[in-house]
Amino acid sequence: MNAPAVPLLEIEGLRVEFGAPEAPLVAVDDLHLRIERGETLVLVGESGSGKSLTALAVTRLLPAAARIGGGRVRLDGEDLFALPAAAMTAVRGRRIGFVFQEPQVALNPVMRIGDQIGEVMQRHLDLRGAALRARVVEALRAVGIPEPERRAREYPHQYSGGMKQRAMIAIALAGEPDLLIADEPTTALDVTLQAQILELLQAEQRRRGMGMLFITHDFGVAWQVADRVAVLKAGRLVESAPREVFYRAPRHAYSKALFAALPRLERRARPAVSAASPLLEVRDLSVEFPIRKGVFRRIVDRVRAVDGVSLSIAEGETLAVVGESGSGKTTMGRGILRLLPLAGGSVRFRGEDLARLSESALRRRRRHLQIVFQDSYAAMNPRMLVGDIVAEGMVAQGIGGSRAGRAARVAELLAQVGLAPEHAARYPHEFSGGQRQRICIARALAVDPKLIVCDEPTSALDVSVQAQILDLLRYLQQRLGLSFLFITHNLGVVAELAHRVAVMHRGRIVEQGPVDEVLFAPAHEYTRQLLAAVPKIP
Amino acid sequence: MGEFVVLATDACLFALLGVGLVYWAIARRHEHLRAPWREVWARPAAAGAAVVLAAFVAIALADSLHFEARGEEEGDLVSLLDLALAPLREHTETSYSAPFATQAYARETRRTAEGQVRREYPRLAYGGAHLAEPAQRATDLARRASAGVMLGLAIFALPLLVAAGRERRRHGGLAAALLAIARGRTRGPWRSVLGVTAVLALLVGLSAAIAPYYHVLGTDKVGTDVLYQALKSVRTGILIGSLTTLLSLPFALALGVAAGYFRGPVDDAVQYLYTTLSSIPGVLLIAAAALLLDVHMSRHAEAFDSLAARADLRLLALCGILGLTSWTSLCRLLRAEALKLREIEYVAAAQALGARAPAIIRRHLLPNVMHIVMITTVLDFSSLVLAEAALTYIDIGVDPSMESWGNMINAARLELAREPAVWWSLVAALGFMFTLVLAANLFADAVRDAFDPRLRRLGVDAAGLAESPVR
Amino acid sequence: MSAYLLRRLLYALPILLGVNVITFVLFFVVNTPDDMARMQLGDRHLTQEAIDKWKAARGYDRPLFWNGAADGVAQATDTLFVTSTLRLFTFDFGISDGGRDIGSDLRQRMGPSLAIAVPVLLLQLVLALVWALLVAWLRGSRLDVASALICVAMMSISGLFYIIGGQYLVAKLWRLVPISGYDYGLASFKFLLLPVLIGMLIALGPNVRWYRTIFLEEMGREYVRMARAKGLSDARVLFAHVLRNALIPILTGVVVLLPSLFLGALITEAFFAIPGLGSYTIDALQAQDFAIVRTMVFLGSLLYILGLLLTDLSYVVADPRVRLE
Repeated sequence: MNAPAVPLLEIEGLRVEFGAPEAPLVAVDDLHLRIERGETLVLVGESGSGKSLTALAVTRLLPAAARIGGGRVRLDGEDLFALPAAAMTAVRGRRIGFVFQEPQVALNPVMRIGDQIGEVMQRHLDLRGAALRARVVEALRAVGIPEPERRAREYPHQYSGGMKQRAMIAIALAGEPDLLIADEPTTALDVTLQAQILELLQAEQRRRGMGMLFITHDFGVAWQVADRVAVLKAGRLVESAPREVFYRAPRHAYSKALFAALPRLERRARPAVSAASPLLEVRDLSVEFPIRKGVFRRIVDRVRAVDGVSLSIAEGETLAVVGESGSGKTTMGRGILRLLPLAGGSVRFRGEDLARLSESALRRRRRHLQIVFQDSYAAMNPRMLVGDIVAEGMVAQGIGGSRAGRAARVAELLAQVGLAPEHAARYPHEFSGGQRQRICIARALAVDPKLIVCDEPTSALDVSVQAQILDLLRYLQQRLGLSFLFITHNLGVVAELAHRVAVMHRGRIVEQGPVDEVLFAPAHEYTRQLLAAVPKIP
Repeated sequence: MGEFVVLATDACLFALLGVGLVYWAIARRHEHLRAPWREVWARPAAAGAAVVLAAFVAIALADSLHFEARGEEEGDLVSLLDLALAPLREHTETSYSAPFATQAYARETRRTAEGQVRREYPRLAYGGAHLAEPAQRATDLARRASAGVMLGLAIFALPLLVAAGRERRRHGGLAAALLAIARGRTRGPWRSVLGVTAVLALLVGLSAAIAPYYHVLGTDKVGTDVLYQALKSVRTGILIGSLTTLLSLPFALALGVAAGYFRGPVDDAVQYLYTTLSSIPGVLLIAAAALLLDVHMSRHAEAFDSLAARADLRLLALCGILGLTSWTSLCRLLRAEALKLREIEYVAAAQALGARAPAIIRRHLLPNVMHIVMITTVLDFSSLVLAEAALTYIDIGVDPSMESWGNMINAARLELAREPAVWWSLVAALGFMFTLVLAANLFADAVRDAFDPRLRRLGVDAAGLAESPVR
Repeated sequence: MSAYLLRRLLYALPILLGVNVITFVLFFVVNTPDDMARMQLGDRHLTQEAIDKWKAARGYDRPLFWNGAADGVAQATDTLFVTSTLRLFTFDFGISDGGRDIGSDLRQRMGPSLAIAVPVLLLQLVLALVWALLVAWLRGSRLDVASALICVAMMSISGLFYIIGGQYLVAKLWRLVPISGYDYGLASFKFLLLPVLIGMLIALGPNVRWYRTIFLEEMGREYVRMARAKGLSDARVLFAHVLRNALIPILTGVVVLLPSLFLGALITEAFFAIPGLGSYTIDALQAQDFAIVRTMVFLGSLLYILGLLLTDLSYVVADPRVRLE
């Protein structure tokens, strides 16, 4: 009988705690995982499942409030938790490389990229001088940075988002580690960049024969990189299986529920919408931001964030606007509501051009057009009660009658979005992300709008919660005949919810039409690229 | 007692008290206002400091109820505090005397009954005057001190019993509650509160027992009791610390928030105003204004009812001038915060709902900048109290006729050069000032930590440089 | 960047003008030149001729804002406001109310002020940085707690106490240094020792706390976690990453003070009889010499604006992300 080979990484009964030792809050509980050399284990879970804490615990870099409550982590058979602090620094960077989620904040802003890579090699590989510089350039070239000699002397702010993440990967690989931990390395990136980074990570892993612990919330990404998948829920391991086995037939009810909640990029039956007269008609809409220069800060040029956009939405229709970050989709949404000054074009609501109305005339029309934001934390004043937040529009528009009348209407609205009337007396921070988004929807509904601009309302939410919010929006559309202008970067959500879709790129709409046509027979090159980059699940 | 007289600063101080009470009433009903105060109260150092501050404020308030005096001081103003401290106020010696002295600091030439001229230390008119022989002082002091301790303990018994009574149910019985308090195992910070209260009660008890018979902190050049002076100075210190911010607050708030929210020309104007004002060195602006005030007041001496009223107005003006130099930094902070807030999505949501600018400012901006106002107010308090002493030294502080720690230091600092040194006025003033400022600083720290969302996060998210602890 | 600098310099003009209007109103309108003359000459039985002579010597005999007696443009320009403003803007400070040449006084007294202010600034900066870095590194330890207590106590002590106590203890009882006075050249050392030490003590408490907060804030950033994930030593993380980033706000906070160092420390100089600009200002205040005070106000705001400009420039040097546009 052969002795079983020692795995590269073995996590045994890991426990991570917060709070008082007498009554700890357990964030990760009794977790067992193993990773072999050359293997990628993907740890999937929703927010708060403890997946990032697991990764940090392996390297003993937990936030100050957290501590390791028990268990063992063995790297090549060596117990990392038993190592003295000094020995641990020889493990980090050398034997375990770490890629963090946000390159924007993880890179030192005042240190040259080359130095940030070089200090790892200096520390662990004992390289100096010209040899060090050559290795740094080589490392940058390996992660696909063009002109690496020049780029090595630049600072992080001179790099684009995708390049920053490449630089961080170069740093993680600089010590030639045996294990690479990647904590949501593509979550902050657009899909096209995500595809490139995933490719890079996989190529490097194969080339070096590293083990990889890859953390994500996205089943599509998991499918693309995993050898094995482990699902984490509330700090506990739900199931762990080889990729094909897991995706063919997830065993655990929780995994099944997550799969069911996933918005899928498929054709489906969509109820027809009468396209008689459009509710909202936007023509040649432009929004500009001035560039000021010189001694007197004169406006020398303008950036067209939205450049001649035309679209229309019928009553009861959902028009999705998709695009990557910086495409101008959010600016367009706010421009339509005139929350930003317009540079040109018209916004006709039931035939009346909102772009030409005076501020006071516009104020009365505002009740017809509402908005729901992505970040439900920022969207509600933390010092107001939920009831006052929902009633704000009624007060501003002078509707809803007396104080008692408004309170009754608030209770009704909360019930409509699936909350209880007594929630009116609480503060926003007492609610979960999904519940907060429901409150924001109730606030918009309070003034009986005809159209709601939904600006990535589900992007910050977990898939299961996202599915509930999408259900709610569909329900409200049927009940109240609402129209939605639904801004998103997620093509799955488009397929799930929208009737028609417009694809935005660099401030322009490059293609628009019924969902089934645009998503399944794209006419424009950019739409095709976008679709190709979306990670597919079998 | 004569008629009530309300000086301008009295009115301000009571208005301030009113504002505080209104705030308290509002804060009680709003969880987001109560929560940070609970956090402040949960810090033992801050709770103890609050007791000290409360004692100082109580003295200041008692010193702000003025009456016209009757009898031999006809026409003078006396306060409630003066009435309570009547023995101290009336026991005036001829000149310096050391703490607990029975004889004067300086020798005097005296002609004895036999006609000889002798240089001797004369007995004091009040300090230890009840003793037949100065040698009895030690036993007399010991007797009075023990009586004072008893008195102090009696005073202390009341708050102790109140606290124990409140904790009785949770700990099952009065004795258990007392034990829990002593061990610091109670929910409220009773141990530090009661500890500080005990010290204060003992000091009050000792003073009440001894001060009518001895000058506990000595007397100054004109023979006034130093303890009395130091206590009277409390009001000046509290007034300068609090009124200054209060006077400048409305301007800073209105201009800062308006500049940040409206931007454009409003912003340009406000920025110009505060950059200009803050570019003038603060001390010089204060000095210039104080000089002008002096000239103005001496030219219009007839416009003031009394010396007290004049000194009082000068104090008020000083607060105004200090406020003029300190509002700019608050205004700058508020403008920056308003600029940030106006870009936050709940403001955009309110605009989309059709809310008007005043409503947005009132509902969304003001409540979210109040923590800055609160933090600035408490942080500025201590530096203003300290500034008074420095300004008084360069003759641009409070009126020389007004009791203040600055005036006490100013009058006493040259006397250190004498042999033996006259140190008591200086030490008394610095000691009182230190106590007040230390309490204010400790309290302000807790307020800042509790109200500043940025500081609350500090150290929670950070792994810092510590290795994750393994249990 | 040059456009930016030019714009900032142009922006300084209206501010200086505003400062000048304020001081002019304070010094000449609220108090007429006649009042000043009476105060300076001090004689109760003063003749109008003496007052006029005093005013004429200083150019104070012109009307304040509008000269009806002059012709044409001179009606607006031959006024006290315009002439006195122009003189200030050309750094012609004239003679003091007491009759001395202000410009030469300033040049002479700048040295002693800097001799105190510069060492105080540098020494306390280094000491506060080391101290704050140490307690930030050992956050939560007993040393940190003790340091917090010491800092808050140091901040609660009046600056006057340090000065008076220091003079009494070090100079009078121990006789280590002279109580007060000044000498030029190397001999100034023994006079400077105590005031520099005390100036440092006064500044230390608040600065240690402030720097510690900045260090902790930086230590909470993600790039620190990244640096540790690289396996770097504590020292390397502290000095190459945390300190380097924290120095940006700290140094720029120091730079803004640099020009104002010329003005000297008012109270310290007065107590130690240092013939610098601080004691010059105090003497002027006590003598109610408006010409000197007005000059110091003008210089103070000029140096403040210069400080703001230097701060912007130092950001460009210290922070690669900042480009001035």
